[in-house]
Amino acid sequence: MKKALALLLALCLALVALSACAKGPEAPGEKTYRVAMICDSSISDGGWGAACYNGMVAAAEKRGWETAYTDSIDQSAYADTMISYCDLGYDLIFAPGNQYSDAVKQVAADYPDVCFAVLNGATSLPTENIMSMLPNADQIGSIAGIIAGLMSKSNVIGFIGGMELDTTKSKLAHFESAAQVINPAIKAVSAYAGSFNDTAKGMELAASMINEGADVFFGDASAVDSGARQAIDQANGDTVRIIDIGQPADLLGQNPCVACSVVTDNAAMLAICLEKCETGTFGNEVVFGSLENNCVYLGKFNDALIDADTQAKILDYVKQLQEGTFSK
Amino acid sequence: MQKTKVLNLLIPTLSVLLAFLIGMIIILCLGSNPFQAIGYLVKGAFGSATNFGNTVVRAMPLLFTGLCTCFAYRCGVFNLGGEGQFLSGAMAAITVSLLIGSEGWWVTILAMLAGTVMGGLWGLLPGLLKTWRGLNEMITTIMFNYVAALFMGYLYTTALREGSVPQTAPVPDMTKIGRVFPDLRITWGIAVALVLGVAVWYFLFNTSKGFQLRAVGFNQTASSYNGLSVKRYMLAAFVVSGAIAGLGGACDILGTQFRLISGYGGGYGFDGVAIALIAQLHPIATMIVAYFFAVLRVGSTTMQVGTGVPTSVIDIIQALVIIFAVAGSSMQYLPKFRAFMLNLFEKKEAVSE
Amino acid sequence: MNWIAVSDLLISAVRMATPLLFVALAELYSERAGLVNIGLDGLMSFGALVGFLACYWTGNPFLGVLCGALGGVLVNMIYAFCTVTLAGQQIVYGMAINIFAPALASFIYRVVFGVSSTLAQATLMKTVAIPGLKDIPFLGKLLFDQTPMVYAVYLLVVVTAVYFNRTKSGLNYKAVGEYPKAAETMGINVIRHKYFASVICGFLAGMGGAYLTTCYVNTYSDGIVAGRGFIALAAVIFGRWSGSGVLMACLLFGFFDALQLRLQIGTDLIPYQLFQMIPYVMTLIALTLFGSRIAGPKAKGKPYYREER
Repeated sequence: MKKALALLLALCLALVALSACAKGPEAPGEKTYRVAMICDSSISDGGWGAACYNGMVAAAEKRGWETAYTDSIDQSAYADTMISYCDLGYDLIFAPGNQYSDAVKQVAADYPDVCFAVLNGATSLPTENIMSMLPNADQIGSIAGIIAGLMSKSNVIGFIGGMELDTTKSKLAHFESAAQVINPAIKAVSAYAGSFNDTAKGMELAASMINEGADVFFGDASAVDSGARQAIDQANGDTVRIIDIGQPADLLGQNPCVACSVVTDNAAMLAICLEKCETGTFGNEVVFGSLENNCVYLGKFNDALIDADTQAKILDYVKQLQEGTFSK
Repeated sequence: MQKTKVLNLLIPTLSVLLAFLIGMIIILCLGSNPFQAIGYLVKGAFGSATNFGNTVVRAMPLLFTGLCTCFAYRCGVFNLGGEGQFLSGAMAAITVSLLIGSEGWWVTILAMLAGTVMGGLWGLLPGLLKTWRGLNEMITTIMFNYVAALFMGYLYTTALREGSVPQTAPVPDMTKIGRVFPDLRITWGIAVALVLGVAVWYFLFNTSKGFQLRAVGFNQTASSYNGLSVKRYMLAAFVVSGAIAGLGGACDILGTQFRLISGYGGGYGFDGVAIALIAQLHPIATMIVAYFFAVLRVGSTTMQVGTGVPTSVIDIIQALVIIFAVAGSSMQYLPKFRAFMLNLFEKKEAVSE
Repeated sequence: MNWIAVSDLLISAVRMATPLLFVALAELYSERAGLVNIGLDGLMSFGALVGFLACYWTGNPFLGVLCGALGGVLVNMIYAFCTVTLAGQQIVYGMAINIFAPALASFIYRVVFGVSSTLAQATLMKTVAIPGLKDIPFLGKLLFDQTPMVYAVYLLVVVTAVYFNRTKSGLNYKAVGEYPKAAETMGINVIRHKYFASVICGFLAGMGGAYLTTCYVNTYSDGIVAGRGFIALAAVIFGRWSGSGVLMACLLFGFFDALQLRLQIGTDLIPYQLFQMIPYVMTLIALTLFGSRIAGPKAKGKPYYREER
């Protein structure tokens, strides 16, 4: 009996001892900055998670930073994960969503030397070591609305949201209002999937909106949108009558129905944060992403679906939007 | 008897080590150093006072849900509704603290009471269905978990939503449960949990009511022949275990989380079941195993961060730990295995003595 | 609501009920042998991934479904070994599968596809219309213009109903879930039946998962199962552990889900969570009304020790 216990104890000790030996010191040399991202969804979700991850990688490449990520984590692990990165000496933590704000505030207070960048964070969030990055949801919605206003023949346009986030709501509001500026007869149908990854639900929602007559779609629901695009493709068959406007990356070519995308350049916004972190000017600031600083822009047109004339009109309206002369 | 106790301790420990061994092999296959990974795990859990504090913070809700399961199972009530009861406690607590229009320690007490009562009520429902309609509580409690989780969704997206994002407003500062040490996130909620754990242990093993409750759990037929009202004891077990989980939810929302948000509380109830089973339904052991779970959670987060292996690998390892540990403890009830092990030890001891 | 919208609603209800039906039948076979398996979500996730991969690589959705089903069997063998041979807690292993299998699926997807801003797309199974029958107004499109998987699952419902009620083998099977000890004395091999049940359960649940990625949508993403396993669990109970009951329950839950999505469009007044509660609340109400008369197989959820005392 005692033997078994002794064996067990020895095994435990051996494990601890070996692990202690294995902890080597970090290689000395020139300081390489490191950024880490946390995410509650998967970074290979082909939507929000992927866009944010790719944004981080692009921004880090531009500035020569190393990257790391932790994805698909539970809400209860937000703080622990960030603390782990802080303890390991990461310089900046990238939290792509407002849902991380509470955890970021808690951790940031304990680690004043680490920078925290929150995408879609509130304007009231920034402190000494927290910055918000806020893409202009109004503009994103309006750009999609302009395209929809010019392209819709049925005068019904569809919008699928994931959750009722503030940014999603304002995208929807401006999507509809901008379309109505161009074509007052338009009405928008909208619904929330209550999820960012239930692809099947996106399909069902899009299918029933098509039945309501919708012929231009826009969405803010990550993987749910890919389900919607699939339903649109199915309804279209061989000739594309119903089109989709992609976001947040340039999705042209992913599905035949994608006519254009409204691109949010997370990388550009994050790069600003990284730079400020390097120069020690980080904090107390909101980085706005908009048409003005090229963090929000119109993706490439699908020439087969949008004729040159309409393309010119869209560009014209978007220019008006940027200059503030696009009336609402 | 002594041998059985050692076996009870030894087998789960060995199974967990075995699960880790597999986990380390997986990590090795992914090209990371498994010993370094374990090093990160230890460092993440005990590397600093903050890390240690986090393990305690993570353990608190698990203590409550573990004790909830422990209490119910002792009476033969397979309450899987710890999650729903935990959430309903949290919902009641935050509703009280937000809507009462005032803040202070007395609101904290009131909110904790509300959480306890609501948890108890959420336990009472499946209890009534069990005693009154004879329904299997394993199924009804799972259904009630879903109802509670969806209702929470309704609260934070619609009813108690605070402005822009789908979440409720935070608990007012004066209503929050205070920290034990100013620099660590540990709150007095952990003290509540520890006292509760000891109380459950005392009640179950040192009072006549507790003995009767366990008797009902051990053999219902014999108990009813001995004049015990089986239904009443079972109902009580439902309510008390629900109340324990509900109090846990209240302590968590008032001390750690402060607001309801998407994904809140997911998995605590199930962890509680696994914890109590691994601890062989002993309240004190339940608390120890709950702490071990928290160490595993916090440490493995650091392990993922340090080694850079995908999060899913960490989830796989954690699932393996549960699979092996519970397999280890359930194996002991296999008549064949039990006889084999006892036999083995007897021989060994005969040789060594 | 006009005629087309009603027909669209019903078609959508059938579409949404199909994966539920596969998985609910899986659970039915499992529970009839006394094994409550709440790891359906996990089995589905793994089936969905394996099915998607096979379909992506070979371009053959049928092969995808088959591989998905085998994937489900593989994972469910862990459950079977732990609950049957080791007599462990069924609920705990179900939940462990729910953590383990989706994590494994997510890991494999990451290894295969890496991180890209778009999801990989595979071929979708084509619908096969039954000539003649599909032209029946209204019903034609609803019943006879679906993928072969849909026909298969309805056939399976019939087979299940006949098997459990009309065949000796089916009665033996049921005995394992009701009175395992009595069954054993009658010469029925309880352990073997339980393993057999786990194979069927894994097969059908994996198929249900693969249906999502090969017949429904043409992509795999983490969380694609979205709790359908638990709704299927409710459907088995609501359907009183019978083939036809499960069919009705799945159609009903599918209908409410489809209705919920349609009611949302245009109005944002109804909180969708309240609709998502419907399957669970209805099951609870039905259970309350019918009481223990529909308590299901008597020995379900209990470990079985062959040599016991």
